[in-house]
Amino acid sequence: MIATIASHQLLSLRRQRVFAVSMGVLVAVTVMAGILGWSSHRTIIGVYDEAVKLLATRGETAPPNPFLLKPTLSMLSNMVIYITLIGALVAIVIGHLSVGEDKATGIGRLIFSREVSRTDYVVGKLTSSAIVLAIGMVASALVSVSALLIVNKSMPSGGDLIRLIGFYGLSWLYLMVFALIGMVTVLLSHRRSLALLSALGVWLVVTFALPQFTSGLRPSTALNPIIDPVSTSQTFFKVTANARPYSVAEQFKAAAGRVLQTATAESGGATIVRILPIVGLFVLLTLAAIRLVHRHDFSRSNLGD
Amino acid sequence: MAGPAIEIIGLEHRYDAEPVLRGIDLTIEHGEVFGFLGHNGAGKTTAVNILTTLITPTGGTARVCGHDVVANRDEVTRSIGYLPCEVRMYGHMTAAENLEFFAKLSGVADARAAVAETLAYLDGADLANRKVGSFSTGMRQRIGIAQAMLHRPKVLFLDEPTAGLDPVGVRQLRDTIRRLNSELGMTVFMNTHLLSEVAKVCTSIGVLNRGELIYKDSIEATIARFPDEASLEDIYVRMEDTAA
Repeated sequence: MIATIASHQLLSLRRQRVFAVSMGVLVAVTVMAGILGWSSHRTIIGVYDEAVKLLATRGETAPPNPFLLKPTLSMLSNMVIYITLIGALVAIVIGHLSVGEDKATGIGRLIFSREVSRTDYVVGKLTSSAIVLAIGMVASALVSVSALLIVNKSMPSGGDLIRLIGFYGLSWLYLMVFALIGMVTVLLSHRRSLALLSALGVWLVVTFALPQFTSGLRPSTALNPIIDPVSTSQTFFKVTANARPYSVAEQFKAAAGRVLQTATAESGGATIVRILPIVGLFVLLTLAAIRLVHRHDFSRSNLGD
Repeated sequence: MAGPAIEIIGLEHRYDAEPVLRGIDLTIEHGEVFGFLGHNGAGKTTAVNILTTLITPTGGTARVCGHDVVANRDEVTRSIGYLPCEVRMYGHMTAAENLEFFAKLSGVADARAAVAETLAYLDGADLANRKVGSFSTGMRQRIGIAQAMLHRPKVLFLDEPTAGLDPVGVRQLRDTIRRLNSELGMTVFMNTHLLSEVAKVCTSIGVLNRGELIYKDSIEATIARFPDEASLEDIYVRMEDTAA
C-alpha cells in the first residue's frame, strides 16, 4: 500500500509539473554555484599569474599558488546557502502538495474508506517526497561533478566524491525536514493558504531569525583574533549560546562546510553532534505527521481554499 | 449470504457534546436498495461515515456483512464501496489514472483490466483518457460510481448521489443503481433528499429525525400504510410532522 500511495503521488507531482520545476530549480542553483565558484577560481588564478609575472620581472621567486592549497570542493561552497534558502522552499512545496490536495478536495474520504492504514498513508507520502528530493540531489550532484570536471580538467578524487555524496546526503535529510514542515502545517491548518504561509514562517525563523539570535548578535566571535567586546557572562548571551546547538540551519551549514572541507576543521564526532538536531527534528516531525493523520477526521475534510 | 448486509444496534455518535445519532437500530438485508431519508443535519451522513469506517461511533455497534466497523475495519472496507456527496478526484489526472489508484487501494489484482471493465460497464470507456478536471458533474458522478464498484463490493454506500445532477443525469444514475443491484447483486444504501427517485429505485426506506430512526419499512408496505397520502413526499412530510 505504501508503494501504491508513493507511486501515485509521484505521478501526481509529474502531472502538476512540480517535479520538473523542482528539478529545474535545484539544477539551476547548482549551475549558479558552479559558475560562481569557477568565476572566483579564474579571478584568483588571474591575479596570481599577474603577480608571478610582476615578481619575475623583479627577479623574485613567486610563492606557491594559494588556490591550489584550497580544497577542491570549496568551489561549491555556495551550494550550502542555496540548499538552506531555495532548496528548503522547494521541499516545503513538495511536502505541502503531498497531503494538501487530499485534504482540500475530500479525496482523503475515498482513500480511508479503503483498506489503507493511516501510518502507511503518511509513509507513502513521505516516500514520494523523499524520492523527488533524492532525484533532485542526484541531479545536483551530477552537475557539481561536471562543474568540477570542467574547472579542474580532471575527475574529482575518490575522497572528494565521497565528500560530495556525504554533502548531498546531508542536504537531502535537511530538505526532508522542510518537506515534513510543509506536510504538518497542512494537517494543522483549516485553510491551504494559511498552511503554506505558516510553513514559510517556520522557514524564515529557522533560516534567518534563529541564526541571527544565536550567532548573528555577536559577529565578532567569528573573527578569532579579535577579542569579543561583549561579555559572554551576560544572561542574554548565555541564552543565545545555549540555543545555538538547536539552530538547525546553522548546524547544517557548519556540518556541510565540514563535509566539503570549506569550514574550520573539527573532529568527526563534533560534526555528528551537529547533525543530530536535524535527525531529531526529522524523527519528531515524522511522528507528528503520523499522529496528525491518525487524529484527523477526513470525513469532514475540506480546506477552505 | 448469512446474516444481514447491515446491522446497526443502539448506534450513537456525538460531535463534541452534541448528540448526532441517538441509539439507532436498523437492519438491511442483502439485495435491498435502501433509501435513508431525513432533513439536513438529521445525521444521515454521520451514519454513512460510521458504516464506511471513516469515523468511530461513540456508542452502540454497527456491522457490515457481519463485520464490526470498529473491530474489523479491514474486512468492512473490503466489502463496501463508497460514493461521497461531492465527488472530487485528482483533476490533473485522467479518469483511468484516478481509477487505477483506487483499484490498487482496494486490493484489485489487475487494476488496469478492472478499470477498463468497470468503465465499459458504466458506458464510460470514452472518459478513460480524459482529465477529470474537465468533467461535468454527471461525468464526475459516473467516475465516482466506477471508483466505488471497482472491487465489486457487496454493499454500496451513496451519499446524496443525485446532488447537482440534471434530470438526464438523475435518470442515468437511477438506471445504474438498478443494474448494480439486479445484475451484480449489490446491496445499496443511499442517503437522499429526492423522494421521487426513492419511490422509483428503492425497495425499502428509513427516516431519520434529529438522530433518531423514526421509520423503517419496504416501499410497498409504506404506501399501503398511508393510503390517504398521494405520494412518498406526502408520506415523508407527515412522518416529519408527527415526529416534530
